[in-house]
Amino acid sequence: MRRTSILIGVLVAAFALTLPAAHGRQTADPGVTGNSILIGGTTPLSGVASAYASVARGAEAYFKYVNARGGVNGRKITYKYLDDQYNPSITVQQTRQLVQQDRVFAVFNSLGTEHNLAIRDYLNSVRVPQVFAATGARTFGADFRKYPWTIGYQPSYTGEAMIYGRWIQKNRKTARIAILYQNDDYGKELIAGLRRGLGRMANRIIALQAYEVTATDIQSQVARLKASGANTFMIFGTPRYSVQSFIYANRLGWKPQIFVNSVASASNLMEIASDAGHNKRVNGTISIQFLKDPTDSTRWAGDAGMKLYRQVMKRYLPRGNANDVFHVYSMASAYSFVEALRKAGRNPTRSGVMAALASLDSKKNPFLIPGVTIKTGRLDRFPIEQVQLTRWVVNRRGDGRWVRFGPLQRTSG
Amino acid sequence: MQELLQQVVIGLASGAIFALLALALVLIHRATGVINFAQGEMAMFSTYIAWQFVQWGVPYWLAFAATIALSFAGGMALQRVVIRPVESAPVLTVVIVTLGLLLIFNGLATWLWSGEVRTFPPNRPFPTKTFDIGGVVINVQDIGIVLVTLGLVAALWAFFRFTRAGLALRAAALYPDSSRLVGIRVGWMLGVGWGLAAALGAVSGMFTAAAFPPLEPTMMQAVLIYAFAAAVLGGIDSPGGAIVGGLTLGVFLNLVGTYAEDLQDLGFPVNLEGLRLPVAFVFILGVLLLRPQGLFGRAEARRV
Amino acid sequence: MSLVRIARILGVVAFVVLIAILPRFLSDFRASEMARVGIFFIALVGLNILTGYTGQISLGHGAFMAVGGYASAILIAGRPGLELAQLKAPDWLPVGDGMRDIWTIPIAALVAGALGFLVGLPALRLRGLYLALATFALAVSIPILLREPETLTGGTNGLNLFGTTEDRLTGALDNTVHIPVLGKDMTFNDWTYYLAWTVALIGLAIAWLILRGRSGRAFKAIRDSEVAATSSGVSLASYKTLAFAISAAYAGAAGALLTIVSTIVTPGSFPVFLSIQLLIGVVIAGLGSLGGLVLGALFLYYLPVGIQELADVGSLPNGLQDAAKSPGMPSVIYGVALILVMFLLPRGAAGFLRKVLNPLTKRL
Repeated sequence: MRRTSILIGVLVAAFALTLPAAHGRQTADPGVTGNSILIGGTTPLSGVASAYASVARGAEAYFKYVNARGGVNGRKITYKYLDDQYNPSITVQQTRQLVQQDRVFAVFNSLGTEHNLAIRDYLNSVRVPQVFAATGARTFGADFRKYPWTIGYQPSYTGEAMIYGRWIQKNRKTARIAILYQNDDYGKELIAGLRRGLGRMANRIIALQAYEVTATDIQSQVARLKASGANTFMIFGTPRYSVQSFIYANRLGWKPQIFVNSVASASNLMEIASDAGHNKRVNGTISIQFLKDPTDSTRWAGDAGMKLYRQVMKRYLPRGNANDVFHVYSMASAYSFVEALRKAGRNPTRSGVMAALASLDSKKNPFLIPGVTIKTGRLDRFPIEQVQLTRWVVNRRGDGRWVRFGPLQRTSG
Repeated sequence: MQELLQQVVIGLASGAIFALLALALVLIHRATGVINFAQGEMAMFSTYIAWQFVQWGVPYWLAFAATIALSFAGGMALQRVVIRPVESAPVLTVVIVTLGLLLIFNGLATWLWSGEVRTFPPNRPFPTKTFDIGGVVINVQDIGIVLVTLGLVAALWAFFRFTRAGLALRAAALYPDSSRLVGIRVGWMLGVGWGLAAALGAVSGMFTAAAFPPLEPTMMQAVLIYAFAAAVLGGIDSPGGAIVGGLTLGVFLNLVGTYAEDLQDLGFPVNLEGLRLPVAFVFILGVLLLRPQGLFGRAEARRV
Repeated sequence: MSLVRIARILGVVAFVVLIAILPRFLSDFRASEMARVGIFFIALVGLNILTGYTGQISLGHGAFMAVGGYASAILIAGRPGLELAQLKAPDWLPVGDGMRDIWTIPIAALVAGALGFLVGLPALRLRGLYLALATFALAVSIPILLREPETLTGGTNGLNLFGTTEDRLTGALDNTVHIPVLGKDMTFNDWTYYLAWTVALIGLAIAWLILRGRSGRAFKAIRDSEVAATSSGVSLASYKTLAFAISAAYAGAAGALLTIVSTIVTPGSFPVFLSIQLLIGVVIAGLGSLGGLVLGALFLYYLPVGIQELADVGSLPNGLQDAAKSPGMPSVIYGVALILVMFLLPRGAAGFLRKVLNPLTKRL
């Protein structure tokens, strides 16, 4: 026993004595060479959230398209994205890898609210741009004073739900509102936004039911919401549960005015929810839109932007599903980034790109619905703040599509 | 009372789906002593195959049948190719192999069909008509699922009890060495066991896609957890236990969800709705503590 | 001392020296990777005692890591830190006012160990797959349970420790860490490396001491035959729960380290897959042997990383590269790798090494 202890003591001492001195610190803007720019991000490629991976794939395809045309100011963009398995701890590790090992110029399009939150402090402390975080959480646009190197892209969840609230206030004064929401910050932010938009009508929310992402189904929740006597049904959840909400509401014979949040409003989902026309509840469902719907071939038949979209998909992401609206989102985001890069000049620096990102003013994004301006300013870090309300309309043949109505609405922060 | 009945009915249907998958787990465990963690993902993969057939224009029931057959063959092939090489390895090694299969099927389904949600044609496998009995809304689909499940269980029971093949299977699982002496090809019997389990899983998957739409790669993950819990609740070696366990669990879960709010109103500190899964586990663990072998499992007499 | 013993001791010395000097040869970032390997290693050492030595299967050790991780985060933040994040700890909880990160590690281990003991008690009634289910239940429930007391744990977004000052979380704000006792400066990555591996070596030493003592013999006896063990007077109940507590404590320490290294803790950091990975790790390492555990930890960390790098291997044809980046493919590759490893090393790395070295050591 004694011999062992001595041995251990010696080992520990030897260990301590060999601790090394500090390493030097890096300066200068990495990731930029004479003919290339390296950007990186994280996205789930495996596990439950891998459906969102299209957000990275679409952007990658668009960058390849831009590179084939000479890149940005003669530099080709390499977009390296890593699989974080939707685990924020892994997001942290991989983001550090991208910054410290791969030496990316900027972190672009990382997906997930908790995930972007986990890396925001680090990126700001090492002054690496956190560009177009793929999440609608308000804080990414609102807290720019504390986090000047961070910027989001899509309209915030708060803003979106506020628009629903305001519309209800104006157009459905007798609304009795039931809400199904995902039991996390995403769902809760939508509810908070709705309350703000409802203003004095906020007490019209008479029933709230939450679900966990481990739930197989939400039948009982929908049943209870119906039992509350509500005539307005807000679906604040992800695609799977959104589809189920429509189906169960139909089965239970409930006929409310339905609102569905944009994350879960893709056309193919609505088709599924409508049970090939058997489910009439989906008619008249309201949501918001800011991207061009890739499944709406009639509306965008001659549209240059969607033509470009299909071209890029066909050439650079042939295995990708062109009807997946996340691909449209990611191309819009990539487009805006390219614009900012161009604006940052012949020799882009990180601060230069951030300055460009904080002074965007573009109407030219081919993937957004007409009229939407991408605008940021000294006090405004929400690139997209305009959306349009849209309604699911079913024609006599039973085919449905989203039809936008009303003016462009502002989702002010 | 009405609501109670309503929730019980809903619970029985979801319970039947758990029961089918639990039965598959029990089958494989009885045959090879292993829990096949990939059972859920295999079931999901089978369902996608059925969906693909339907996309290609094959009529639903034909696609269903073809999928069952393919799943049977696939399950058998898996046992021969992937499980047999590690047969003599420690149990945990085989468990890891099934975990590997889980990852493979999950990834493959996402890669082939993407994470996009999909659906089968409406009114398949059963019409989704509802009818009202004294205020309780009953879905024909739910009844269909429960009946078919019970029917399958009965058929399986008869198979094991009254046919030579069934007897051979049971013998191969319980007494592999003696079975070999009698001329039973134990290896192939194990393969049949896996095939049957895969086929059952396929049915469970098809029902899941109908009852808990939409079809997507993650749809069986929660179901597997519940099936595992149900199998253990019923006794890991008891097919009957798997069914009872599944149905019980389905109803229990639904009731917890239903009365969570009322409980909270009565002063219970937490809303149990979101905690359905942990609550289910507490329930099962409670049962296990009283009966460590599950409801119908064989009690091992260990005087230690 | 026999030649075998001398060889073993030399091996250990070489190992320690290697760990001490490795960062000199690695890039700064790789050091942080090795820190994560170390974290896995610590958890595996603990789980090995439970599964490899007493034969109890746990599919839930990620839960103990989570408990340790959160305990550490809450202690580091302290009441003032929680307040800053608009959170609040209940009055009866001895949270303190913020503690240095190092000291939270043993406390986290104790907390997790206590939980492990509590879990180990009812676990006595269960064996094999029933136990596996019970622990699996823990793994599945923990992320959900951690989200619920939102005011304490920060809900889905968890706790962010980045803002804590230097005296509590060494080096979070600045890339250079000043180590007070030894008066040296090093980068944050190197610091996490040394922190993790110091804890790992201490943990390894403790495990070694436990295993070669009475407890170790009792554990081995239980694994080989419970009936025989009891007949020899080994109290099953005490040792089995002890094994649970010890393994949980190690997992708790690993969890605390994970928090310190990531500077954040979220429910999503401890998914079910983590618990499964830990089990995979001990099986690949080879049950019941300390030697293979480093290999197990390396496997756990580097396989997903390696799969990612496949997409960047210039020599692969374009189609394959793209496939490696497609959603779903990383899982497939991981699964295939897992099965292949099990085919090649059915008894894990240690089992394989034993087979290979057996002829050599026999002659000694």
